[in-house]
Amino acid sequence: MHPAVILGIRAALAAPAIAMGATFLAFGAAVREAGLSAGWALACAWAIYGMPGQLVVLQSASTGGGVIATVVGAVAVNARFLPMSVALAPWLRRREGDRRPLLLAHFISITTWAAAMRVLPEQPVAARLPWFAGFCAGAFMIAGVCAVAGHVLAGAMPAALRTALVFANPLYFALLMSADLTRSGPRRAVLAGAAAAPLALVLPPAWGLLAAGLTGGTAAFLIGRGR
Amino acid sequence: MSEADLALLLTGLACLALRLAGVMLAGRLRADHPFIAWASCVAQATLAAFVALAVLAPSGALAALPLHARLTGLAVGVAAYFALRERLLPALAIGLVAVVLVA
Repeated sequence: MHPAVILGIRAALAAPAIAMGATFLAFGAAVREAGLSAGWALACAWAIYGMPGQLVVLQSASTGGGVIATVVGAVAVNARFLPMSVALAPWLRRREGDRRPLLLAHFISITTWAAAMRVLPEQPVAARLPWFAGFCAGAFMIAGVCAVAGHVLAGAMPAALRTALVFANPLYFALLMSADLTRSGPRRAVLAGAAAAPLALVLPPAWGLLAAGLTGGTAAFLIGRGR
Repeated sequence: MSEADLALLLTGLACLALRLAGVMLAGRLRADHPFIAWASCVAQATLAAFVALAVLAPSGALAALPLHARLTGLAVGVAAYFALRERLLPALAIGLVAVVLVA
């Protein structure tokens, strides 16, 4: 095994584990409240592995939305997986035509993507895929364990704690983006995305985030090209 | 199979398809290709919009947290992050403690 695998696992078991684990704890508790099993919480966490989409499916499971509407809504809120995978793929290839990154595609989430985009460019080419594999393994385990733990512990969690857990995720991403604010390219995309966020308030919830990201991201890209 | 399970299965497959499509679309392009740069901007902007909405206009469980608590948590967390020379974990913990204290 490449030594970078262990480094990846260790990186996942630090701050990302806390931020992501907190969110999946809250998710597991919400699944229990909806009257669904711990197994369902685990299946949802691992099969979809993207919190906004998980929440859409959970909500429809508890209120009885139609299958098609649920799937369309859940996929739309997770649509960022497409541009994220495009952006990440070149950093996972060892050489042209390398197909191994496809094996890790399922594990691309906000957490793993954000960590990889920070770390991989500084790694030697041979260490990139192993590092990402280790990080993904660690993150996936944490997600599953915490989803089940949240289900088991739901009754013991005071409401205030659960809300704080839910806030851990946006705060974690905000901190990751704070680091990006010191670099001009990413700063442009972060600011443009935040500026476009109000679009999500006027559009249907499923498409709002996607529209804000496309608008803000394209604007940032064009401004960057113009310089 | 119940409707909820079917929706879960189909959503999982569709999300996997999105991820596979992204990796394949990137194909042989280098990291500095304009298409990759554009996709990075869109991904980054989507994440920024997600955070902005979570803090300013959340739905679901986060909405139970008052606006001043969300803003305080964000401000304290980011301030701690820079004060502690960009150390993520302590900044995250400090921000969350601030949320619980003022909520």
